Amino acid sequence: MQMECILIEIQNVSKSFYTFKAIDGVSLKIPMGEVVGILGPNGAGKSTLFKLISGLLKPDDGDILATNGRIWPKIGYKPDRLLLPNHLRIGQYLKTIARLSNVPEQVVQQTTFDSLVKVDLVNAADKKIRDCSKGMRQRIGLAQALIGNPPLLLLDEPSNGLDPTGQSDMNRRVQELHAEGKTIIISSHQLHEITKTCTQLVILKNGRIHYEKSMSDALSTSSHTIIETDKIVEGALATQILSLHDDVQFDGLSVILRNEAMSLRRQIITMLLMGNYDVVHVVENKRSLAEIYAEVVA
Amino acid sequence: MIQRIQVLASYFLRRLVGSVSGALYLLFTLGYWLVLFNPQQLTPDTDYFILVAGLFGPIAAFLITLTFSNWANQAINYPFLVRLPSRVEYLTALFISALVTTMTLQLILAILAIVFHGPDLSIFQFLEIPPLWLAPTVLAITLAMHATDLVSSGWSRVYIFGLLALFLFGQNISNEGLIRGLNGLSRYASNQGWFSAVNTVSSWTNSLANSPANLFTRITNALFWPFDAIARAILNGNFTGTQALAPAILMLYATILFILAADLFVNKDLILTEA
Repeated sequence: MQMECILIEIQNVSKSFYTFKAIDGVSLKIPMGEVVGILGPNGAGKSTLFKLISGLLKPDDGDILATNGRIWPKIGYKPDRLLLPNHLRIGQYLKTIARLSNVPEQVVQQTTFDSLVKVDLVNAADKKIRDCSKGMRQRIGLAQALIGNPPLLLLDEPSNGLDPTGQSDMNRRVQELHAEGKTIIISSHQLHEITKTCTQLVILKNGRIHYEKSMSDALSTSSHTIIETDKIVEGALATQILSLHDDVQFDGLSVILRNEAMSLRRQIITMLLMGNYDVVHVVENKRSLAEIYAEVVA
Repeated sequence: MIQRIQVLASYFLRRLVGSVSGALYLLFTLGYWLVLFNPQQLTPDTDYFILVAGLFGPIAAFLITLTFSNWANQAINYPFLVRLPSRVEYLTALFISALVTTMTLQLILAILAIVFHGPDLSIFQFLEIPPLWLAPTVLAITLAMHATDLVSSGWSRVYIFGLLALFLFGQNISNEGLIRGLNGLSRYASNQGWFSAVNTVSSWTNSLANSPANLFTRITNALFWPFDAIARAILNGNFTGTQALAPAILMLYATILFILAADLFVNKDLILTEA
């Protein structure tokens, strides 16, 4: 990863609340134009990390820096909870955000309109926020984050509480924003959402980063290989194959290789052929995000 | 910066208008007027009008600041805070909102008190009112900020209000009665010709007069002097040159408290309430 592509660098940041260590020595580089998915169980430190990046919390240790001497990027932040000023109308709220974001007065109306278009709320501009559904409130949360065209978006659980259609719409919007070149940090408990939208994957647990890879690398890792034979392998050959590695198993006509045992695939196939068994099928199963997550979080 | 402060202040003010809190503050103002400027009674004196209507400012300002701070401390405001280049803008907007609301209510009170059997004020008396009413109100707002969760950090409010209590208490620590008694004893000894006793009693009196308790009382009296000076000047109907400085000194106190509030607010973790 080249240095000039990094928008923000988090250097060994820690944050405690009394005796509870919410973030513990986290170091992370946020590449420009990427969608970084932050996964983790409840209490892993995801929202705390968002608040640290947005400047709402101050790190106890470490630094959060805009790299290459850039000034701190403008941030659009959608918090995890659907808390909005209920006494305002959607349009009023977005105009307030626009004016706070230094949008010139003559384009405030247009900016507000554009953000409403992006979240399909144009017809609801005059609606009181208190009368909005959960799905609408999520979209208002996203719309306010988009105002002023900030290069960095922090979306904390944007699909929380949405129905499947709403989730799918939100995924589409995140993908569109990525296509526009925005850098997005997104947290979610919806693994399919992260799989679809993110280019980088970070899994937090107990305030520490336990997994960090590009999404393509993460999903290209094989979970297990199945070698299917024409008949059940028995006798000395079976014992010999099983003794090669603890992660080699037999299941009916199949020999299953997991983890490091997958490197023995060629050797085992050779042994089977030499033992007069026909190899009828070899399948390499890729790991799903759910498997990676379960493995890391377990 | 000015635009952002204006936007935030109007956001807070808009929330007050039409809210239950806004109605309650209006009722409080009307109640204050009815009780302390009862239109059924005779015309109040000018000094009574200036003092009592002036006192309304700090009381209302303190309560209004608590209300605005409570609203400003809600998690719905995270998106606003993230957009601001400096958190001081947020605090300034809060201050302006509280000041505008207080002054509006105080104006309503003053107009009611004048229109219904109010005193006849000369133009000079009118001109004296703004600094007299503004300075204690501004001080009350900045002090109230320190009482709120929004601004206080760690034990800060305990320190600030503890110090205030200590200063208020310190005004009453006095050994002047004992000093007066010793002076009487010294005079009696002198009349009796007991000169060695006079010397001893005099040295005790000097020690007491210079004791830390007396020094502390003098310091606290000096700190609270502006309030005393304003009250005396109003009751006397005119300000001496020194008394005229009192509102400026209160503004100085308010400035110090605001700078302290800003420093606490800028450097604290913003964990706003999610109610």
